[in-house]
Amino acid sequence: MKKIAVEVRDVFKTYKSGFFKPRYTNAIQGIDLAIHEGELFGVLGPNGAGKSTLLNIIMGLITPDKGCVLISGDNTCGMFHRELRNSMNMSSGNPNYPWALTVREALNFYGMLYGLWGKKLDVKVDGLIELMELKKHANTRFDELSTGTKQRTSIAKSLLNDPKILLLDEPTSGMDPNISVKIRALIKRLHRELKITILLTTHIMREAEELCGRIAFIKDGKITALGTKEKIEKMTKSRNMEEAFIELAAD
Amino acid sequence: MSSQLIRIYAFAYRNYIFAIRNFFTFAEMLFWPVIGILSIGLMGGFLGLQGNMRQFLLTGAIMAGVFQTSQLDVAYGFLYDVWSKSVKQTFIAPVKNMDYIAGSWLIGTGRGIITFFMLAGLAALFFKFSMPPGFALWVSLAGVYLTAMITGMMTIFFIFMFGQRIDIIAWMTSALTMLLCGIYYPVTYLPEFFAKLAQFIPLTYFLEYFRTGYGFHLNFTHPLLKGFGLSAAYIGALLWMIEMAFSKAKKSGMLVRLSE
Repeated sequence: MKKIAVEVRDVFKTYKSGFFKPRYTNAIQGIDLAIHEGELFGVLGPNGAGKSTLLNIIMGLITPDKGCVLISGDNTCGMFHRELRNSMNMSSGNPNYPWALTVREALNFYGMLYGLWGKKLDVKVDGLIELMELKKHANTRFDELSTGTKQRTSIAKSLLNDPKILLLDEPTSGMDPNISVKIRALIKRLHRELKITILLTTHIMREAEELCGRIAFIKDGKITALGTKEKIEKMTKSRNMEEAFIELAAD
Repeated sequence: MSSQLIRIYAFAYRNYIFAIRNFFTFAEMLFWPVIGILSIGLMGGFLGLQGNMRQFLLTGAIMAGVFQTSQLDVAYGFLYDVWSKSVKQTFIAPVKNMDYIAGSWLIGTGRGIITFFMLAGLAALFFKFSMPPGFALWVSLAGVYLTAMITGMMTIFFIFMFGQRIDIIAWMTSALTMLLCGIYYPVTYLPEFFAKLAQFIPLTYFLEYFRTGYGFHLNFTHPLLKGFGLSAAYIGALLWMIEMAFSKAKKSGMLVRLSE
């Protein structure tokens, strides 16, 4: 039986906003999830469903109100020790990096945050620039890049520390279709060759169908469907994932 | 090199790139301090200030420029991420709060040293400013840089607590600190309550000590001990407070909101 890489146990998160008249938003309402080592797992859902919050909780950037996240069996309880941080990485949708840094400088900077230095850093950064086809943009400032190039830079950054667990938040958002195809091929390759556990969020059905072994559908902070593509289609009595999405997202 | 030193270097590297690529960082280092020293020097001449009194005033203008430049860099260590909306990218990595504080402080100190020699040179050239003896100079400058670290850390703490809307505090805290610590006057000239308050600011003691180099008498006993003692206590307390504010920012979602 495969080991569990990421386990989310009964996690709740409510955001409070406003000082004098506080408003509460239930972002995550009791999510349980287990992702196996080497699995490529998809989290689907409409905008505002709680997908990004879930990823941020798994990455330790948001502390849940209740419940916990276990990474490779290690209970994080909102506290991520250094080894854990070194074994994970994340690429966000609409990524932002320090605006004055070029692609190469940004990768150098984040590489150093993972302890890479000297020749090792140069080799790693050069390799990622090559892999993500960023050579033409290597000396371009981040604020001058197109959305798609920013996204590729973000994926390159997320591979700097050779993560065992990789979280991809909308990895192809804002990309041209030809670049999206390449990114999806790259994700498949990373998963196949490096055996990385990948958890990705998307609302592009084709992406989920093409890439993910299992899918969790989130709506209003709850998982409303979980399983393989075929299982979800059967459960919703749909002919394809597009129809399943519409069915599951409906009120 | 240890991984912590590499991380500190990484933040110094990033602050350095921002410093050489943005006009506002040059203005902070060259334009405003130069305007300050020229204005104060001319005013001193107009008022007919001579000898030590002129040195007193010029010292204030020089230290104000150095302090402001250095403390801003510490705050920038965090603010560059806030303005770029890349806060979470930094904290995805195994980064400690001390890493970016120390890294940016190194660049702040470097920029402060350049500002100091440029202002002291200009003041010497145009207003007959002379440097105090070596020990008083270097030990006081070290104190100014430590106070700069403290005010920069206060900015980081407040942003973690209240978000980007409060980034103006990076400029307010240094202005208030300089007002209270008697940058252009002895603190004994302040109303009693504020004079007492000034005794809790390390910069007060370092300015006092710097001025002894021009023959001014001390208003406090053991200024260096008090200045460095307070600095160490504040840096320790602020590190703890920033850690608490960081945990709170993860609970409230502020850490992620600062990246959106």
